[in-house]
Amino acid sequence: MGEVRRLQEAGVLVFSWLCGVLLLGAVIAVIGYLFVHGWRSISLSLIFGATPPLDALLMKRHVFNGLFPAVVGTLSLIVLSVCWAIPIGMASGIYLAEYAGAGTKAFLNLFFDILAGLPSIVVGLFGFSAAIFLNRLFPGSIHPCLLISSIALAFLVLPYIIRTTQMALEGLPLSARLTALSLGASKLQNITHVLLPQSLSGIVSGVILAIGRCAEDTAVIMLTGVVASAGVPRSLFSHYEALPFYIYYISSQYTDREELATGYGAAIILLCICMVLFLTAFVIKRQVSYHALYRA
Amino acid sequence: MEKAVKIRTENLCFSYNGRTILHKTSIEFAEREITAIVGPSGSGKSTFLLTLNRLWEAIPRCSLQGTVAMNFDGSFHDIYREGYPVTRLRRQVGMVFQIPNPLPMSIYRNVAFPLQLKGGLTKETIRAQVEDCLRKARLWDEVHDRLHSSALDLSGGQQQRLCIARALILQPEVLLLDEPTSALDHATAAAIEELLLELKKNCTILLVSHYLNQVTRIADTVIELHNGTLVRKGEKA
Amino acid sequence: MRRTKEHAVEIFFVFSAYFSALLTVVIFGFMLALGLPLLAEGRIFSIMTQPWAPHLGQFGIQPMIVGTLAISLLSMLFAFPLSLGCAILISVVSRGTVSWLLRKMVEMMTGIPTVIYGFVGIFLLVPLVREFFAAGSGMCVLSAALMLTLLVSPTMILFFCESFARVPDSYGKAVLAVGGTEIQKFFHVTLPNSWPGVVIGFTLALGRALGDTLIALMIAGNAVQTPNSLLDSARTLTSHIALVFAADYESLEFKAIFACGIFLYLFTTILVMAVRLLGVGRERWAR
Repeated sequence: MGEVRRLQEAGVLVFSWLCGVLLLGAVIAVIGYLFVHGWRSISLSLIFGATPPLDALLMKRHVFNGLFPAVVGTLSLIVLSVCWAIPIGMASGIYLAEYAGAGTKAFLNLFFDILAGLPSIVVGLFGFSAAIFLNRLFPGSIHPCLLISSIALAFLVLPYIIRTTQMALEGLPLSARLTALSLGASKLQNITHVLLPQSLSGIVSGVILAIGRCAEDTAVIMLTGVVASAGVPRSLFSHYEALPFYIYYISSQYTDREELATGYGAAIILLCICMVLFLTAFVIKRQVSYHALYRA
Repeated sequence: MEKAVKIRTENLCFSYNGRTILHKTSIEFAEREITAIVGPSGSGKSTFLLTLNRLWEAIPRCSLQGTVAMNFDGSFHDIYREGYPVTRLRRQVGMVFQIPNPLPMSIYRNVAFPLQLKGGLTKETIRAQVEDCLRKARLWDEVHDRLHSSALDLSGGQQQRLCIARALILQPEVLLLDEPTSALDHATAAAIEELLLELKKNCTILLVSHYLNQVTRIADTVIELHNGTLVRKGEKA
Repeated sequence: MRRTKEHAVEIFFVFSAYFSALLTVVIFGFMLALGLPLLAEGRIFSIMTQPWAPHLGQFGIQPMIVGTLAISLLSMLFAFPLSLGCAILISVVSRGTVSWLLRKMVEMMTGIPTVIYGFVGIFLLVPLVREFFAAGSGMCVLSAALMLTLLVSPTMILFFCESFARVPDSYGKAVLAVGGTEIQKFFHVTLPNSWPGVVIGFTLALGRALGDTLIALMIAGNAVQTPNSLLDSARTLTSHIALVFAADYESLEFKAIFACGIFLYLFTTILVMAVRLLGVGRERWAR
């Protein structure tokens, strides 16, 4: 009896360690493979090609065989999407946490859950068809472009921002909620002066994870205007390049070793961006409340 | 001499989470007195205070019937009347909680905060009033050289006096105190009691307490909350 | 003055919330409106069962439905035991720093871009599969499912760990108090009391597997055929959308990708509903 039990326990132990080693081994293999094959291509010329970096940054000269346009494209996408998603997302989150009754909250949350669960390609397809639709309304002016992509991406990350805002606000203790009210604050003053600042760390880390999602998403943008070669985006209505799409494109269309090496380089850059964002979110979740808030 | 009435409740019923705390209670509180509210713990004394500044409305699953009228500027106002400005009410009826609740801001901003919410005052006026209230709350001497450091670094007793100063800055006519000394040591508690005796010159004070000796020391009237009603227990001669 | 300003802001809150909710409906509306010509003629059934042969006028997406299910279910078959094992490792077997470190690594995995998995899949996993089985190109259901396993496991592991942690400690203490081991406590108390959470974690991960585009697009081979073995090339609904969308806007071929969109929308919505129902069950279970 005791023997069987001890064997079972040992079995569980071995199994769980095996799973852990397998999973971590696989991830380390993926990341390690990338770095082993790609580290050599990491250099300034990977990003700027033959153009002097300063000239490229000041937009004096075009970068032809570097990742600069893709990096700029990805950054513009992030900034634009987050600009659209933060006001709407935070406002919805505030409404859910502070104004909506229990019934309304359950009702709206169902929609946000569905939105959060949608495959990104479906959101991309929506962005694409919306662009066609708009093009029919205003012939010739709207086609898939940076603007459409950023709006579609904003829809993709909207549920993240709504949820983190709602959770952060609802997580505040009742005492924090009553203090300012007892001092004559209106409901909105209470939210803006006390509740939002106190839940800032949760909200900010949610926003950073949303940024990570914008940086890595490929499915939405490949349907809404990203192309393999467009240069630095000139306007909201132009085509653009982006790192994740570049990686996808190179993996299937590369013609020589050099192009493939750029693909590896792009993959390493993207991975680093996402990891840095992740670590920032992690650190902020612990630190923000100590730094930003207690200064008057 | 019969003192003027400040607060009058009529048929006040209040329940929280389906539990009745007050049942058809009608009672009056006299002006410029310290009224102590006593009763077995868990009877809802603290919750009762929240019916007087309508703060319970921010707590889910509460319900209230009946009226509460307060005497402001010489006439009685029903504070539950449709459209009664609740933020003004809470400026007139200050509150200090059992556990000191300074906001995560500097000492100065904590005290100035209610005035900033109200708006329309110059920086100089605010500064003068902050100093005045910190002096009234006997905290000025301890903090005047570090007004801009975090209020959360203060000791428990200092934090509670800060909260009192913060409540005073709006010059409330009624002050609700929910066991304000229960989290403090003896010496600090005594300082706060002394402070309350001084404040009652301009202010109607309702004090929830379960320290009998504190009640007999400072209260003018004692009211017991028991089985959903408030009963007048006694008055100081 | 201040009242009106506050009122305006509060109206913005309400507007945003309903706008976001409406968006969910509008997305479905668009799919439906644009896919309608294909569905309206009573062809829903043929769409679901026919093969894809545009030159013959057949726009069935049956191979893609099968491909999607094959790849995602296979990946769940790998990922579920793997995740359960890792969750046990993190919550029960390891302690202190090791457990913390493992959990942080898993959390960090959620931040790895999908396209990276696809990219490394092409150059590392696909050749391995090709050589190991010595058949085909290596771009197949199995390769995609293996990579997808890496993508969905962190979601499941973190959700499992969270469910285990929700079981009140007092129950477990009772087992330890009568001389049980940590592992016995886990199997007799923690796991039985957290199974709704385990099912929810599984469902969420399945949703991610169904909805992922890039891994299948990059390493499943994309052949329009119903896969017969693990080493067959296959195309998912998501890759089908990505591959066909550039077609002529007015063609039936193009309309068919909205049928894919509708299917994906419905699949994931059903999973979300299931999670919510289970969630209600879980609340009740906890009481």
